[in-house]
Amino acid sequence: MSAVSSATETSLTGEVIAAKKQARFALARKTIVTPILLSLLLIAITLITVMTGSRPFNQTVIDVLVRVIFVVGLYIFIGNSGVLSFGHIGFTCLGAYAAAWLTINPIMKSSALPGLPDWLLQTRLIYWQAAILAALFAGVAALIFGKVLMRLSGIAASIATFAVLAMINTIYSNWDSVTGGTSSVVGIPIIRTIWPYLIGAVAAIFIAWAHAISRSGLALRAARDEPTAAAASGVDIPKERLVAFVVSGAVMGLGGALMAHSIGVVTPDTFYLSLTFITLSMLVVGGMGSLSGGVIGVVLLSALIQALRWMEGGVSLGDATFALPKGIQEIALGVIMIVILALRPSGLMGNREITLTRSNRNT
Amino acid sequence: MSHLSAENVSVAFAGLKALSAVDLQITPGRISGLIGPNGAGKTTLVNVLTGFQTPSEGAVKLDGEALIGLKPHQVRRRGIARTFQGGRLFRDLPVVDNLEVTGVGLGMSRRAAIAEAEAMLDWIGIASLSSRIAGTLPYTDERRVAIGRALMGRPAYILLDEPAAGMSGPESKELSALIRRIANDLGCGVLLIEHNVGLVLGLCEHIVVLDSGAIIEEGPPASIRDSEKVRHAYMGTAANTDLPVLEVME
Repeated sequence: MSAVSSATETSLTGEVIAAKKQARFALARKTIVTPILLSLLLIAITLITVMTGSRPFNQTVIDVLVRVIFVVGLYIFIGNSGVLSFGHIGFTCLGAYAAAWLTINPIMKSSALPGLPDWLLQTRLIYWQAAILAALFAGVAALIFGKVLMRLSGIAASIATFAVLAMINTIYSNWDSVTGGTSSVVGIPIIRTIWPYLIGAVAAIFIAWAHAISRSGLALRAARDEPTAAAASGVDIPKERLVAFVVSGAVMGLGGALMAHSIGVVTPDTFYLSLTFITLSMLVVGGMGSLSGGVIGVVLLSALIQALRWMEGGVSLGDATFALPKGIQEIALGVIMIVILALRPSGLMGNREITLTRSNRNT
Repeated sequence: MSHLSAENVSVAFAGLKALSAVDLQITPGRISGLIGPNGAGKTTLVNVLTGFQTPSEGAVKLDGEALIGLKPHQVRRRGIARTFQGGRLFRDLPVVDNLEVTGVGLGMSRRAAIAEAEAMLDWIGIASLSSRIAGTLPYTDERRVAIGRALMGRPAYILLDEPAAGMSGPESKELSALIRRIANDLGCGVLLIEHNVGLVLGLCEHIVVLDSGAIIEEGPPASIRDSEKVRHAYMGTAANTDLPVLEVME
C-alpha cells in the first residue's frame, strides 16, 4: 500500500505487537475446557462401565464411544460448514474394510478376499496400527471426492454426498473378490477391552476442537453464516470446506475401523442408510453447531435407544410381559428429530459449548 | 500511477442491460463517489470490481493487470476490499472475530489476525465492542464493524456500498470523518456509493453518476451539484420523499 502515514503505521504496528503477545495461546487456553469436559464425561461413563463388570453393558458403552467418533466426525464437516452430508458413513465403510484387510489372518484373507493384492494379503497389523491407516485411507478418499464435491453448495452438495454413499455401497457390495460383496467379512480381531474405544473417542473430540480453533475452522464457520461476506474477506470457501471434509472423513474412517474391531464382522449394508440416519439424528438432536451438542446427542440418544431395545425385548410386569413392537427405535428417533427440528432447530445445546465460564460461544 | 479501473464494462441479465460501457477509475488516497437513483447499476458495478459479477463486456484492471476471471477471494487478496448494503456481518461471531476472519482469509495466523483486529477496532474507535456478538449490535455500529473488517490487511482500495444508509445526521458526520481518515491516514483509495448525496458531495474529489446502467455525468462535486441531468435522473425516478439533498454535508 502506498502513501501510508508513518505516524499511523507506527501506532498500529505497536498495538499489533502488544496484542500479539497477549493473544499467544490465549485462544487455546480459553476453549480447551470444552474438549476436556467432554472427555471427562466419557471417561466417567467408561470407569462406571469397568466397575460394573457387565459384559453386555461394556459392549453397549463401546457402541456409544464408536458413535461419538462418528458424530464428532460428522460435526467437523456439517457443524462448521453448514452443508448437510449424507455421505460420511461411506468413509466409515472404507475405514472398516481397510481395518479388515489389514488385520484378518492372511490365510483367511486368501480364501475370502482373493482379489486383494499380494502385499495386502500378506499384511497383518495390530488393530491400532490398522485403525490409523484406515483413517488415512478414508481421509485420502475424502480428499478425492471432496475435490469435486466442495465446489457445490446447499442442496446440490448434500445430494452429491448422498451419491458418494451410494457409490461406495454399490462398489463394496459388488466387488466380491476384494470386499466379499454382500457377504459378511469375518475374522476381524475383536477387541473387547473398552480403553481403545475411549482413546479413539477422546482423540476425535480433540481433533474436532483443534480444527474448530484453527484458521480453517474460523473461516469455514464465517462462510457458513455469510458466504458472500466471507468470500469478500478473502476466504477460499471450497478450500476450507475441503479441509474439513478430509479431516472429518479421516475421523469417520477411524470410527469405522474401531466399529469393525468391536463386532468382528463387516458388510456393506452395516454402513448405509440406517447408520446414516442414526448418526445424523444424534447430531441434529444434540445440536449441529457445537462439538458439545454432538457428544451430548450421542449419549442421550444412545441411552434412549438402549432403553427402547430393552423394552422391545420384553419387560416383565408381574405375570404379564410388556414388549414394544420391533423397529420402535427408528420411529422414536424420527419423532424426536422432528420435534427438535420444530421446537429447537439448533438442537439441545443451541450451538453452545460446555464450559466452566459464562462465555461459551463456539470459537 | 497505481489505480483500479473499470474499462468499458457492460453487464446484461437475460437481455436486460444493467451496465452499459461504464468507465471508472479509483486511485489510492483519493475518495471517489458513485451515485445514482435506485436500479442505476451502482451495486452491479461494485460486484464487477470485486469479482462477484463477470461483465458481459469490458475489463477490470488493477495497475494495468486484468482481474476478470478471478474469484472474489482472489480479488480481495489483491487488495480490493468492499462492504455490503446491510452490513452482512458474521452475526454469531464476536466483533473481533468478524475482523479476524479477514485476517485469516488473507493468510495471517489466528494470533496475528486477532492482534491486527484489536488494533483496527481501536483505530476506528470501537475497541469497546470487541467481544460483543455482532448480531446484537445497533445498526450504526454494524456499519463501522463492516468497514473495520474490510480494512483488515490494509487494502489498497475499499468500496463502501451505502455505508450511511439509515444513519442520523451526527452519525453520518462521524462516518464522514472516518472515511477521510481511511483515505488520508491509510492511503486507501475509496469508492463511496451512497444515496446520501450531500455526504458524497462533501467528501469526494470526483463523482460518477449512473442512471439506468450508464454514466450520465461525472466530475468534481460542484459540477455534479449544478447538473440538470443529475437532478432530472433523481426527480424522474423517485417520489418526492426520496429526493436527495443536493447540498454539501461538511
